[in-house]
Amino acid sequence: MTTVSENRAPSVSPWREKLGKLSVRQSIGLMIITVLIVLGILAPYLGLSDPNQSSLDILQRASASHWFGTDALGRDVFSRVIHGIRVSVLIGFGVGVLGTVLGVPIGLIAGYARGTIDLFILQIIDLFVALPALILALIITAIVGSTAINIALVLGFVMWPQMARLVRGQVIFIRESVYVEAARALGGSPGWIIRQHILPNAIRLVVAQFSITVAFGIFSSASLSFLGLGVPPPTPDWGTMVREGVQFLAFSPLMSIAPGAAVTLTVLGFYLLGSKDD
Amino acid sequence: MLSHITRRILLMIPNVIAMTFLLFATVSSFLGSPAAAMLGQEASLEEIAALNKQYGFDRPIIVQYLDWIAHALRGDFGRSYTSQQSVADALLPTIPVTLELSLWAILLAVVATVLFNSVPFARRVVQPITTTLAVIGITIPNFMLGICLIFIFAVKLRWLPTTGWVPWSAGVGAHLSHIILPVVTLAANYFGSFTLVYREEYKAAYRRLFIKVARAKGLSETRVSLVHALPNAILPVVTYVGLSLGPLVGGAVVTEMVFSMPGVGRLFVGAIGAHDFPVMLAIGILVIFGVMVANLVSDIVYTSINRQVSLG
Repeated sequence: MTTVSENRAPSVSPWREKLGKLSVRQSIGLMIITVLIVLGILAPYLGLSDPNQSSLDILQRASASHWFGTDALGRDVFSRVIHGIRVSVLIGFGVGVLGTVLGVPIGLIAGYARGTIDLFILQIIDLFVALPALILALIITAIVGSTAINIALVLGFVMWPQMARLVRGQVIFIRESVYVEAARALGGSPGWIIRQHILPNAIRLVVAQFSITVAFGIFSSASLSFLGLGVPPPTPDWGTMVREGVQFLAFSPLMSIAPGAAVTLTVLGFYLLGSKDD
Repeated sequence: MLSHITRRILLMIPNVIAMTFLLFATVSSFLGSPAAAMLGQEASLEEIAALNKQYGFDRPIIVQYLDWIAHALRGDFGRSYTSQQSVADALLPTIPVTLELSLWAILLAVVATVLFNSVPFARRVVQPITTTLAVIGITIPNFMLGICLIFIFAVKLRWLPTTGWVPWSAGVGAHLSHIILPVVTLAANYFGSFTLVYREEYKAAYRRLFIKVARAKGLSETRVSLVHALPNAILPVVTYVGLSLGPLVGGAVVTEMVFSMPGVGRLFVGAIGAHDFPVMLAIGILVIFGVMVANLVSDIVYTSINRQVSLG
């Protein structure tokens, strides 16, 4: 009698099981992100100087009291880099959420429906993927104004097609599998099959692509703010800090290189978490 | 074959029209009346209405769009609001700068991708380094890499000038010394994404029968890799370059800004800062059009080569 209970499948939910274990690459990514997010949340309680407080100590080089020096308004660059995590990661998550909310349903519909609907959606996806995303984002952001919410909306709007394309491919792959055919033969409705079989199997891919979308959301929003379309001052924003610091590169290199490194590290963390080993 | 090309061209026309019209409509409706922007805040409603009538801004948007296209086809893109210079005159000298930068960067990135990823004897040693470089290339923003290169090679070592642009006529050495850092900056980004594509294709080629046959014939690994796997993996990369030209354009804009190069990107960013509507629109529409034509050409080239491969 004991064999029966031993042979029973472990009661892990289909979702939990599919998320699986992390590779070395992904673990490094997760570590970077965790440290960044913790620093970002705790930023006001770390005893740093006020990131927006200007002082008479303008354009100081790196020293014990100002680790990365001060900027042209005498604000502490280190404190601004740490506080800059907040707006960057928030915009990144906004882009990721919007890209997922738009991309997953569209990909599901295209992959599951096939036929004319699929062809039509694929046309739109291909068109969007080929578009010069940064050029469009620049034009639209310049028009609607560069608030954090607008930047996230604009970038999410230009970045959903990659998610849709991936989900569509995965759905087409899964829907041909034997167990989905069996579920259909048993009379499962399309909605039930999508919820019970297709989504749990696509979830790993969606989570990975979410992370990649966050990475490129941060990458693009930093590029936008470097080009002058950052969140309004005085909010600490890495791209804007690089833009302002670059003229003092020879005198105080950390003023632009430190926020630039922060962008790179954040993008790297989310990219590694979402990419697969080769 | 011919029907495929015809279908692609026919499909492209509505796409181009739809995208450029959407852009035109978005820009015009959100910016409000350009006349108000030109006259400033003190202008009276009558003055604005008069100017709107003079420039034709009071007509329906579709008429304005068709009018814009008709003028654009004759090379007339309107006048810049800020400099009052004709857009075509401002735009023309910037195009060669951007083209040169992009072509060098793509060439360098493709050569580096092939070199780093298909040297067979060193693959085990080189691969982890290549992977790291590719990941860095993808994740480092162009402005960050550009600034680091300027700091190392121009500020510290003083080997190269910091920024700026010198035409070929001022001397080959001067020209190349100004363009090398921007090209490397842009190419690093391309190298990352090309490597991902090339590796997938290279692995796929290795799984195919002709590689096994070539090995079974007793060919050396070098020969198998360079003569058999490489040509099969490089074609998708070339197609990828053509198809992803749109996303690749963004890097060029940022790179031009970092190195103060007088290219299309810098003109565009300047126009955005000044809300210079005709310049923004002309560059936006030209880039969309150029990217779509490039996509079409690379698609046609790819299908025709593929056809020959499968027939031959």
